[in-house]
Amino acid sequence: MRRAAAALLALTVGCVLADSAVVTLALPEILERLHTTVGQVAWVLIAFNLVLAVVARPAAWFYKGHNAAVLCAIGIAVFAGASALCAVAGSLDVLIIARSVQAVGGAFAVVGSLQLLVAELTERRGTAWWIAAGVFGTAIGPMAGGLLTDAFSWRSIFIVQVPIAVLAIPAALVTHRKSVQSVADDPPRHRVLIQPNIALALLSAALTAALFLFVLLLVDGWRRSPAVAALTVSAIPLAALFSRPLVRTLRAGPLAETTSGCLLIAGGLTGLALLPSADLAWTIAPQALVGLGLGLTLDPLTLRAMDGRMPYSLHGGWTIAARHAGVVLGLAILTPVFTADLRSAQPPAKNAITALVLNAPLTPEDKISIARGLADQLKQQSGRVPDLDPAFEKLSFSPAEKPVAAELERDLNLQLQKAATHAFRNAFLVGAALAVAALLSLITLRRRSAQ
Amino acid sequence: MSAVTRLRAGALPALAAVLVGGVLTVQIAHGGGRYSPLRPANSCIAPPATSVSTGIDGLTEQLVLTGLDAAACQIGMSREEFALLLAEPGTHTDAQINALRSGLLTAVDSLKAAGQLPRASQLAREAVDASNLSGFRKTAIRAIPDSLIDKTLTTDDILRRTINDLDLRAMLANLSNRHDLTVQVDAAVTKAVQERLADLLHCC
Repeated sequence: MRRAAAALLALTVGCVLADSAVVTLALPEILERLHTTVGQVAWVLIAFNLVLAVVARPAAWFYKGHNAAVLCAIGIAVFAGASALCAVAGSLDVLIIARSVQAVGGAFAVVGSLQLLVAELTERRGTAWWIAAGVFGTAIGPMAGGLLTDAFSWRSIFIVQVPIAVLAIPAALVTHRKSVQSVADDPPRHRVLIQPNIALALLSAALTAALFLFVLLLVDGWRRSPAVAALTVSAIPLAALFSRPLVRTLRAGPLAETTSGCLLIAGGLTGLALLPSADLAWTIAPQALVGLGLGLTLDPLTLRAMDGRMPYSLHGGWTIAARHAGVVLGLAILTPVFTADLRSAQPPAKNAITALVLNAPLTPEDKISIARGLADQLKQQSGRVPDLDPAFEKLSFSPAEKPVAAELERDLNLQLQKAATHAFRNAFLVGAALAVAALLSLITLRRRSAQ
Repeated sequence: MSAVTRLRAGALPALAAVLVGGVLTVQIAHGGGRYSPLRPANSCIAPPATSVSTGIDGLTEQLVLTGLDAAACQIGMSREEFALLLAEPGTHTDAQINALRSGLLTAVDSLKAAGQLPRASQLAREAVDASNLSGFRKTAIRAIPDSLIDKTLTTDDILRRTINDLDLRAMLANLSNRHDLTVQVDAAVTKAVQERLADLLHCC
């Protein structure tokens, strides 16, 4: 019974932290269904992470002197209710408000779950479960969201969270007696460790490039379906799982793990910036580096920020605040970079498309018709990477011209893929620089510790 | 710290460095970093334009593509940038219109020098076949010997007269209306032929 309750609480933690990136693959569908703009739809992501970052620390403070089980159950209930509201939201404003409420409930649920897991299991095991659930949720979020969006709709992402959260409410209340006892004891107060939290924030900002921008490149830039994109990004959680046996085999120590992890994340993001083509196979190795790095860093860094430090909820709250502030920082830094690059990629892409159409071995009439269709598509999808296929679907070609037109269509799509890949390059490199900054902060930490 | 501990502590960062180095090396060796859109050719050293069409359509396409290159070169941009500029709705500057006219005239010279301009008789026959003239008129024109047509009219002269006479601003505005465009070009060609014939009558 205790294990089942602990598992449900850990699952809720995973769910809340997966929510940070879960809607990334659904954003294009939300954009279309709720008739909004790219800039506005980004707030579905930003609102959740921002509110979670801001509320996590006060939520931890709020737990002091209150019954953790009841507060946690209320937090989970708010999270469930807000998830249901997200699922039925008919407008972007409602969705963003619901996401913000979801983050408030999520902050209380995550911080409370840590306290309950520690009370229910041991301090070490409870913290380990809590951290592992968070890392797993973060890594698996984009993939889960993509598969659900493709199989059902973006609304299903929020629907599936409701029963998980509803089941976790009694699980939280079951731990009532134990948590009351733990709160009754007056625990010592340890100082907050700033440096691991800064490293967590910088790494989370860097991971934004892999968990948000890369899926945007797959879906919007390369026009892959959410399911294909979800399967592609599954390389990250799979590689993250592989990090544990690697750590057990090498037993290198937490500092070696975190510095190696930062190096792997920086290298993986540089790899994503230097892709030789839009072939999905080329993305696997850089993603595996990022996944391996994620597995090697988030876990020991969170543990370092929290291990043995009292009260758990306060230090856990700080790690959540640091990670989600990092996500917001990453979005704030990377979004202008890639949107500006996407804008400046448009003229070269248009020139490349024009060159291909002008040089195509087709009759002038066909070229003019194609040019008109392409111009219409570019106008309709202003600000996004356009889908050129409808321009060809409307045209009829003679049997002799069909293969030429098909080849032109392939070449045009290739140019768009090249332009989109090129446009994301700087953002990935900035992400890599953030991972290097995290690495430098850890090296500084080591020097200070040595002194 | 013992040697074994130090070795263990160094093994993981070393492995990470090897993995990162390996992945980046393979990617760069396969063109990583150079995956970017096609760069338009320099309009001043552009290869000769070709067309899959024959007759008037083919000639028009070759003229336009070669002319766009020459015009773009004159105002210092690529053919594609100039084509997109011309395709944009709204007014075009005198410099753009003059460059286009000058480019088209240069294209006539280039095609003539390359021996790619068809004889006037060939174009006349094709124009008559495609025209809405009555059967009697078509038969009468077809009865004129090719040698007489080629002696009277030269393709490059007619093209130059047509280009000089064309209202290029109106033509660019008509780009999306094939009928209006054809009417405008036909009128300019007819006027060019009439002027050429009038010049011949005056001089001889």
